[in-house]
Amino acid sequence: MRKFIVVLLMLFTTILLGLNLFAGQDKDKKMVKHPEVDFSVSCVECHTNVTPDIVKEWKSSKHGEMNFGCYMCHGDGQQEFYPRPSSDRCISCHGDYAVDFSKTKATNCFDCHQGHTLKFHKNN
Amino acid sequence: MSISRREFLKVSAAATAASTIGVSFLPGMQKDLFADGLNWHKSVCRFCGVGCGVMIGEKNGKVVAVKGDTQNSINKGHLCVKAFYLHKIVYAKTRLLHPMIKKNGKFERVSWDEALGYVAKKFNEIRKQYGPDALAFYGSGQAETEETYMANKLFKGAIGTNNVEGNPRLCMASAVGGYLTSLGKDEPAGTYADIEKAELFLLVGTNTAEAHPIVFERIMRHKAKNPDVKIIIIDPRKTPTDQVADLHLFPKPGWDLAILHAMARILIKEGYADEDFIKNHVNFHDNKKKISFEDYKKFLEQFTPEAAAKISGVKPEEIVKAARMFGKAKTAMSMWTMGLNQRTRGVWANNLVTNLHLITGKIGIPGCDSFSLTGQPNACGGVREGGGLCHLLPAHRVVKNPKHRAEVAKVWGVPVENIQPKPGKHTVAMFDALNKGEIKGIYIMCTNPAQSLPNASKYWKGLKEQFVVVAESFFPTATTEYADVVLPAAFWSEKEGVYGCTERRSQYMEKVIEPQGEARWDAFILRDLAIKMGFKKYFEKYKTANDIWNEYISLTKGTDMDLSGAPYERLKKIRGITWPVPSVDHPGTYKRYTKGDPIFDALPAEKKKGRRMYFYGKPDGKAIVWARPAKGPEEPTDDQYPLALSTGRVLEHWHTMTMTGTVPELVRAVPMAYVEINPQDAKKLGIENKDQVIVETRRGKLQIEARVIDRPEPGTIFIPWHWEKWMANILTIDAFDPGSKEPEYKVCAARVRKA
Repeated sequence: MRKFIVVLLMLFTTILLGLNLFAGQDKDKKMVKHPEVDFSVSCVECHTNVTPDIVKEWKSSKHGEMNFGCYMCHGDGQQEFYPRPSSDRCISCHGDYAVDFSKTKATNCFDCHQGHTLKFHKNN
Repeated sequence: MSISRREFLKVSAAATAASTIGVSFLPGMQKDLFADGLNWHKSVCRFCGVGCGVMIGEKNGKVVAVKGDTQNSINKGHLCVKAFYLHKIVYAKTRLLHPMIKKNGKFERVSWDEALGYVAKKFNEIRKQYGPDALAFYGSGQAETEETYMANKLFKGAIGTNNVEGNPRLCMASAVGGYLTSLGKDEPAGTYADIEKAELFLLVGTNTAEAHPIVFERIMRHKAKNPDVKIIIIDPRKTPTDQVADLHLFPKPGWDLAILHAMARILIKEGYADEDFIKNHVNFHDNKKKISFEDYKKFLEQFTPEAAAKISGVKPEEIVKAARMFGKAKTAMSMWTMGLNQRTRGVWANNLVTNLHLITGKIGIPGCDSFSLTGQPNACGGVREGGGLCHLLPAHRVVKNPKHRAEVAKVWGVPVENIQPKPGKHTVAMFDALNKGEIKGIYIMCTNPAQSLPNASKYWKGLKEQFVVVAESFFPTATTEYADVVLPAAFWSEKEGVYGCTERRSQYMEKVIEPQGEARWDAFILRDLAIKMGFKKYFEKYKTANDIWNEYISLTKGTDMDLSGAPYERLKKIRGITWPVPSVDHPGTYKRYTKGDPIFDALPAEKKKGRRMYFYGKPDGKAIVWARPAKGPEEPTDDQYPLALSTGRVLEHWHTMTMTGTVPELVRAVPMAYVEINPQDAKKLGIENKDQVIVETRRGKLQIEARVIDRPEPGTIFIPWHWEKWMANILTIDAFDPGSKEPEYKVCAARVRKA
């Protein structure tokens, strides 16, 4: 039971960290830290174990096919870490794909695209 | 109660993901990095030879962003993971900012005047005492054309030695040899525009997905739109390129020549040969003499699918299948890179791929080409075209041709006697001569040979003992450790100039910011050194980059690689142009040796009669199909060293990591080197995934982490070569192709044991 509570607390804390992003990215940089892990292991190698579904989704996408790794959107995890990446990081490659936001409620790429499969959200 | 770290990670990663992905952002949360205040400048990627266009975002005199250039026909706005971080590399902590001279074993900061004065004095002393051939220059396929041009002039035209080499010797020389012997002129006949018109791709010795990602992306998109497009891979290792393959042949490393001959045999026997094309466009040769088509057919008889299977280790039915796929496709494009070039018979391997195109007539028409992929951004432009190798002069000229020497000497304004008729020392011979003390002073520019030479540790002796000058943007490197003088060189975005990529396209790059620290442009470092050495009258005229480029393109006029229609004024406005481009109103050349190529178009009608192609580098305009022996590697596996070691790239790193090693994201992506071992071999050796193992060859041994994975075939191991700490090149062999002098990095015999 104690173990369950600890896990629950961790979950809650991490969700809070995620939600903190809404306050603005600069602040996030200071606040959100990737857990201390063995950084001699690559992102995708570790996450194949810890978040296999996400890795599977990513691999199925164009980004996965081209091996655009986790770090492209989420940072290196040490010096920079963006649990919730901004559209800024998309624009380097996709900057000239004109999207008329006035016709949608979207304010950024991930309003329409799932971050890992890159497919449209079902409700869009 | 305890909770393991792994459990914690699982929980926190899943939770973070749940909280962050798929949930709408609040409006106005993100500031748009690219929205305002940025000035965008046209440039070219600094990494591989694909030549992707990049736009450099500059704000208040700082490079702050990079994005793909959507107007560039090569990448159409797309970038691979490395290019994405170029702007970070400009400000790497490892940038070399000041000239330094090693005094009492320690580098001390000095002024430019002192540094260049010291180098000039030492070089002049060596030249006076031992002659010009005691000096050498070792350059790079990453240097701009203007930079290599200045080095060539200083060493060949002023100092008077042909000891001028560059790292393209280590990656592209066999492709040069292949094109010259097969088609008569260097560099591909086609361009990337063939990709979207090809029905079949034959990828030999190339991990295109990781080494040339944007070319791979174009192939992938083309196949996605056209599911009938087929892709055949011939490579000893499974790589990310396999995700698009229809057929993969896995030869034993170094034993693939027999497969290519067997494919040619099947193509002819089963009626896929284009007899008309052969009759009018092709000659046949063996290693000694011209032979007939019938002789060639007889030669091929030894390469039955079964015989080739025995030599290569590939199943005979797969060879037959590959040949039929190639034959049935209306259009076919072959691509290869180091897997063919870095071999002791690299030229032959290149010839045999081109043979397939020549016997089927799959060349000179859209969607067909025998297309070599280049590893560095300006190996083609600066070194192959600029003449930065020991036997070459600018614009595909050679030192042994007196007419060529006279033409170049005239433009350089140097006495023709200064240019020696005898080629200088090729790369391996050059570093061997340093070891022996025959070369006593060397100027190394924009490259890291202490790590990148094959059998690298053998050549550290010469670097340690002789006078070594290193012009570099980064410090330290494996090579600067041996330097007597280091000169800080301006990096990408801090200088203007031209890069020429794989498809004969020359592209202009803007200078966007001032160089970091006291760094200077390599071409002007060389100019100023030349002046200090006493060659003022030959070098004082170069005031701008444009002065150098204009002189260079004047030397290309009337040659097969005519760039006289590509002055800076034009290149600044366009996304490069593919030569020959003989006038400023010429649109550039898509296909060589055929209609649309200005050289072909200008040929007299009688030469073109009955021909759709004329290979004007050959006396009768006919290309050559070569009957080459199916030689294996220099050091085949044996009882003592039973595994074939191959080395190569990963997507996220490049060469010796002087650039990618400064980008935290790329370091995180692949933090350390490893040796890939097939699970069958690992089981036999008692090795588990992530064990520390010792990889040993006859030249050295390396402790490294094992990655037990089914990428290499049983009997083969693979190490990515980028890391100085896990230096794969202390293991590789320095045997080289007798024609191209390119070393056989790709195959040697090794053994592995648990550490």
